[in-house]
Amino acid sequence: MGSLLDPFIAMWYRQVKRFWRAKPRVIGTFIQPIFWLLFFGLGFSAAFRAGGRTGVFLGLDYLSYLMPGVVLMTIFMGSFMSGISVIWDKEFGYLKVVLVSPASRKASIIGRSLGDATIAIIQGLVILFFGYLIVPTINLLNLIPFLIVSIIMSLSFASLGIIIATKMQTIEGFQLIINIITMPLLFLSGIFYPVSLAPLWIRVIALANPLTYAVDASRFLLLGVSEFSFIFDITLLISLSSIFLILAIYQFDKATIG
Amino acid sequence: MGSAIITNNLTKKYGELLAVDHINLEIKSGEIFGLLGPNGAGKTTTIHMLATILKPTEGTAIVAGYDIRKNPKEIRKKIGIVFQDMTIDRNLTGYENMWINGRLYGLSGKALEESILELLDYVELKDWKDVEVKKYSGGMIRRLEIARSLLHHPEILFLDEPTIGLDPQTRAHVWDYIIRIKKEKGMTILLTTHYMDEAEKLCDRIAIIDHGKIIALGTPDELKTMVGQDIIYVRIQSQNGRVSGFIEKLKSINSNSSVNLNPPNLISISVKNAPNVIPTVFEIADEEGIKIIELKYSRASLDDVFLKLTGRRIRDESGSWTDFVRTRMRARFRRR
Ligand SMILES: Nc1ncnc2c1ncn2[C@@H]1O[C@H](COP(=O)(O)OP(=O)(O)OP(=O)(O)O)[C@@H](O)[C@H]1O
Ligand SMILES: [Mg+2]
Repeated sequence: MGSLLDPFIAMWYRQVKRFWRAKPRVIGTFIQPIFWLLFFGLGFSAAFRAGGRTGVFLGLDYLSYLMPGVVLMTIFMGSFMSGISVIWDKEFGYLKVVLVSPASRKASIIGRSLGDATIAIIQGLVILFFGYLIVPTINLLNLIPFLIVSIIMSLSFASLGIIIATKMQTIEGFQLIINIITMPLLFLSGIFYPVSLAPLWIRVIALANPLTYAVDASRFLLLGVSEFSFIFDITLLISLSSIFLILAIYQFDKATIG
Repeated sequence: MGSAIITNNLTKKYGELLAVDHINLEIKSGEIFGLLGPNGAGKTTTIHMLATILKPTEGTAIVAGYDIRKNPKEIRKKIGIVFQDMTIDRNLTGYENMWINGRLYGLSGKALEESILELLDYVELKDWKDVEVKKYSGGMIRRLEIARSLLHHPEILFLDEPTIGLDPQTRAHVWDYIIRIKKEKGMTILLTTHYMDEAEKLCDRIAIIDHGKIIALGTPDELKTMVGQDIIYVRIQSQNGRVSGFIEKLKSINSNSSVNLNPPNLISISVKNAPNVIPTVFEIADEEGIKIIELKYSRASLDDVFLKLTGRRIRDESGSWTDFVRTRMRARFRRR
């Protein structure tokens, strides 16, 4: 057992420690979601209220509607970026250190992903408590199930990042790939508007996006309303996440250099 | 003594390029074995295959008793490696880098902590243990990497260009560690280098590699004897003794030695291996009543060997700026 726990702990520790060291990055990660809530959320909330269109957002005020999504967006970005940072390990050689050790690669990569998830969730929590200040109606009694949903979602996007990073041959176009992948995932997820009202092609993409189910389930847990049933959300979230995680483990397991 | 590593037609192709071309080597337990060759010769590729992080295209190797194709995991437990490129996490401290590595090798608790401190002490980095690696110099990073590679007491240590990009003083320092490691820990060490002086100073045996092929193999002396002749210069006191008898006897030292008397009193003797012959020169001088005032010799260099075999030279300037830039930047510019 020790042989699986050790690399898990090692990699978890590394991710958490590294993040903690990078203080400007810690602060930077809070700015964007707060801006979304304040500038986008408050603005649109007022606009929709003036237009009498709150019914569209599951009967919620737009700011409330947006809040759970922005928390998950924070976690999503954090975990995806950490996952894809495997590319830097590849580029700057650290990956070799893990590959040349006898440690279980499966345990290493799961440890790494959970380390990323830990950080992302702490970031998410900060945003959640900030959100609570402006939307006091959210139900913090469901915090624990909400955290579980977040961890699962985080693992799936850390995995997606790892899959992309191990597939990428060079760091060329790194930023482009991040934008090409994160923007659609964010916008086609029900964070900003209900998926069921969107055109068919958007709905199709959104339904394959784990973030959609995490957002919907969180809205159910924190605000008591959702587009799909909670069981449906959880089932799909777990299924999609498992697929991502298994693919990431498989990719990493067979990774050699060069 | 057994063999630590045996390769059997070990080959790596990148597309059409034969980076490593059917290499057959045997490295004995406890020796420092050097792979000496110019840039792009295939040294790193060979080491990566032996360290089980790169799959051979053809052939295989036995490392620490296991086949690299069949039992990579067993091998990984028994080898330590310092990669050519820097592989330390710069955002972590020296101690943290060591600790994470220890856990990857299944070490933990007090025992791990003690090993880390002992090794950091060994490479004189104990005072720096809680400083982020970002703030280390190149030589300190290299020493940390060496300490890290020793943490799990490997049987075989791979050092890929251990002193590349370091200044001469730091290089000498790193050499001392390598010699100490061999002496104190009795490890088998396989190192690669393109520095002649390094290969000569550290290695018991050397394989010269070029375009993926081993083109010569032997102890530094054997290799030099292969091509060149060493020359011994002897200055004698001309008045005394039987000079002609002295010269006759010198000629019979070994079959292809030649002796010249440069008047009035300087004699040059070309021989296969100067250090082996020098005691004999003194004996003969004694017998013939010759007094030797001064004796010097110059040796054939490994570069002469390379030149003779390939018609080219291995770049020989040590610790140059281009090397430094090359190591630091290669990761970024390498296109696969
Ligand atoms: N991933 C790769 N893809 C394609 N070619 C490669 C790759 N890695 C190495 N090569 C090529 O294989 C040959 C051997 O490279 P290798 O890195 O083993 O040389 P080396 O002896 O270590 O040289 P150096 O002094 O540059 O470290 C070179 O021609 C190199 O360009
Ligand atoms: Mg190399």
